[in-house]
Amino acid sequence: MEDEKLYEITAYTENQVGLLSSIAGIFTRRSMNIEKLLVYPSRIEGIHKFKILTRSSEKLIQAVVLQIEKKVDVVKAFYEVDDERSCREFDFVSNFLKEREEINK
Amino acid sequence: MKEGQNISGADILLEQIISLGVDTVFGYPGGAIIPVYDKLYDYSDRLRHILVRHEQGAIHAAQGYARVQGRPGFVMVTSGPGATNVITGIADAMIDSTPLVVVAGQVKSDLLGTDAFQETDFIGMTSPISKWSYQIRRPEDIAWAVARAFYIASTGRPGPVVLDFPQDVQRGFAEYHPQVCNFIRSYVAVPEPSDTVLRMAAEMIDTAARPFVVFGQGVILSGAEKELEAFLDKGDIPAGSTLLGLSAVPSANPHLKGMLGMHGNIAPNIMTQNCDLLIAVGMRFDDRVTGNLETYARQARVIHIDIDASEIGKNVPVDLGILGDAKEVLTRLTGLIQGGVRRAWKDEDVKCYEVENSRVIEPEVHPAEGLLNPGEVVAAVAEACGGKAVIVTDVGQNQMLAARYSKFVGSRSFISSGGLGTMGFGLPAAIGAKIGDPGRTVCLFVGDGGLQMTEQELGTMVQEGAGVKIVLLNNNWLGNVRMWQELFFNRRYSFTKMVNPDFGTLAAAYGVDSATVEDRDSLAPAIARMLSDDKPFLLNVHVREETLVLPMIPPGKSVDEILLDRNVFFEYGR
Ligand SMILES: Cc1ncc(C[n+]2csc(CCOP(=O)(O)OP(=O)(O)O)c2C)c(N)n1
Repeated sequence: MEDEKLYEITAYTENQVGLLSSIAGIFTRRSMNIEKLLVYPSRIEGIHKFKILTRSSEKLIQAVVLQIEKKVDVVKAFYEVDDERSCREFDFVSNFLKEREEINK
Repeated sequence: MKEGQNISGADILLEQIISLGVDTVFGYPGGAIIPVYDKLYDYSDRLRHILVRHEQGAIHAAQGYARVQGRPGFVMVTSGPGATNVITGIADAMIDSTPLVVVAGQVKSDLLGTDAFQETDFIGMTSPISKWSYQIRRPEDIAWAVARAFYIASTGRPGPVVLDFPQDVQRGFAEYHPQVCNFIRSYVAVPEPSDTVLRMAAEMIDTAARPFVVFGQGVILSGAEKELEAFLDKGDIPAGSTLLGLSAVPSANPHLKGMLGMHGNIAPNIMTQNCDLLIAVGMRFDDRVTGNLETYARQARVIHIDIDASEIGKNVPVDLGILGDAKEVLTRLTGLIQGGVRRAWKDEDVKCYEVENSRVIEPEVHPAEGLLNPGEVVAAVAEACGGKAVIVTDVGQNQMLAARYSKFVGSRSFISSGGLGTMGFGLPAAIGAKIGDPGRTVCLFVGDGGLQMTEQELGTMVQEGAGVKIVLLNNNWLGNVRMWQELFFNRRYSFTKMVNPDFGTLAAAYGVDSATVEDRDSLAPAIARMLSDDKPFLLNVHVREETLVLPMIPPGKSVDEILLDRNVFFEYGR
C-alpha cells in the first residue's frame, strides 16, 4: 500500500441536480470513504463548491480528481493534503477508536 | 419547420432532433412515451423508426449505427422496464466511447418519487455509466437539453447521454426555436496541446532507437487514420492496434504488426517489452492489453496521447502526457519529428511472426483434416469479402477469432463490444451497422451462446430488410468460458455445455435463408451463396467443439508470457 494521507478535494461545479450523487459515485466505485462533505454556493455567481475530505494515496487521489473533473458539469477540481490540524484531529479520533476496539476484543 | 410556433413537448423533441440531423430512431414504445410516439406517426417522411424486439436490441443497434456513421445513435424507450432494459447498452457505450442519445419516457412530474407505475430513478441509475444525464423539467427546456445532449455525446471523448422525459413535459406546450450547442463553460471538449509538450515529444521520438506505437479507437473517433499512417511512415515506426483500434490502419500497412493484448499477435506484445519508447495514441491501457501492469513496458519511456485527461497516467505511468485530439496531435508531431529509418528494429517482428504462423495460424486456418476450425471459417469469410465488409462480432471465442483473422482495407470496419464484453451485442449491432451503412456487406461472427441472448432481433432484421450476414460459429459450448475452465480450472466444465435449437429452423421461422455447414468442402460454396445477394442470411457452421484461441497471455501474466498451446510458452530468440 502506498502512503495514505488525508486529502481535501475542492470542486467548482454548475448547480445541477444529481451532481452530488454522481460525484459520490466515483468514491463508491473504488470503495473509498468520504470523511467529510460540504456543498455550498461559491463566491462565483451560479457556481457551487464541493469540499470533500478523503483518505487516499497520491496516485489514487490524482485519478479520482481527474474523474471528478471529467463530469460535464464540473468546472475544475483540485486536491491538497489536508492541513496539519485536521490531520491531527483525524488521527486522534481514529486512534481513539482503534483503542476502543482493542478494549472491546 | 415549426419554428416560433407554440407546439407540444413531443413535437419539440422531434423537430429538434431533425434539426440536428437525426433521421433514424431505434426504439420501443410504452405508456410513458406514447405522446412522442403519437407525434412520430406524422413524421414518418423524415424519421425512420426501427422497431426492435427488446430495448437492449435498440441500444446495441444504435451503437452499431453510430460506429459506422461516426455520429450519435438515437434511442427512444419508455420508463421503468423500457429504461432499465437499455442500461447494459449505456454502460457498453460509455466504456467504448460510442456517441448515443437515449431518451426515456418518465412518469408525470407530480408522481416522481412516489413509486408510481413504471417509475424508476433513471438518472440515478445511469449517472455513473453515462457522459451526461439530465431530466427535462419544462417544455421550454427541451430544445436546449436535446442540443446539449448531442453536443456532449459527439464531442471530446464521445459517449452516451441520457435524457429523462416526464410525460407532462411531452404533453406541455412551448414556443419552439431550434437550438444549437457548441459551447459549455464547464466542459472543454477538445483540449489544445501545447507547443512545448509537442516539441518535447518530438525530441523523445527523434532520440529513440526503438519507438513503438500502440493505438486504439481514439484514432477512428478523431478521424486520424491518415494522420497516423503519415506519422508511422515519416518516423518509420512499427505499431500495434488494440481490439477497437482494428481497421484504423489497413491490414496490409507494413508498419502494422498486428493486434495487442491477451489474444493478440505475438510481435506487438513482444515489441511492447523491447521498445525504448512507447507512444500510445487514443487508447486507455485496458488490462486485456497490458496484462500485468508491474511488468508492462517497464524498460520504455512512455508518451500517452489522449483527449481524456483522466486516462493519462491512470494505469500506466507516463513520462509525457499529451492532452489533445489525436488528429491534431499527430499532424503536428509528424511536422516536428525527423524522418527516420529504423529497418532493423522494425524487422524484429519477423521471428515472432514465423513462430506464430507455424505454431498457431497455419494449424488453425489450414488444418490438414478433421473438423472445421472456427478461425478457418473467419479467414474464409474474410477472404471472400476482400477486406471490404464491416465485421461485427459478439463476445467470446468468435470475437477473438474474428479480430485475429479478419482483414481490413478501410476504417470503421470492425464493431465489437470491447470494454464491457457484452454477449448479445452482435446481432443488434450488426443490424444497426447495416442500417447505418447499407451499401456495405455486414458480416456478423457470433457464438451459439451470444446469438441466443438477442436472437429475437432476427424479427427486426427481417422487418427492416437489413441484409446482415450472420456467421454462427456453432460449438455447442459457451466456448470462451469452457476454454478458461480447460486451461485454468482443471477441465471442470461447470455449466458451459448447451443444448441448442436447430438454428436453420429458427432462421426459417423468420423467413431467413440459411445453410448449415459441417465439412470443409461445403464451406466455400456456402459462403459464396451467402454473399451472392444483399438479403439476410444465417450461415450455421458446426465447428470443432473444444478449441482454444491462441496465442494467449494468461490473465494477470506479463505480455511476453504467451501461451502457444496448452502449457507451451513462446520463447523469444528461438
Ligand atoms: C452478458 C454476458 N454474460 C456472460 C458473459 C461471460 N462470457 C464471456 S464469453 C462467454 C461464452 C460465449 O459463448 P458463445 O456465445 O457460444 O461464444 P464462443 O465463445 O463459443 O465463441 C461467456 C458466458 C459475457 N461476456 N456477457
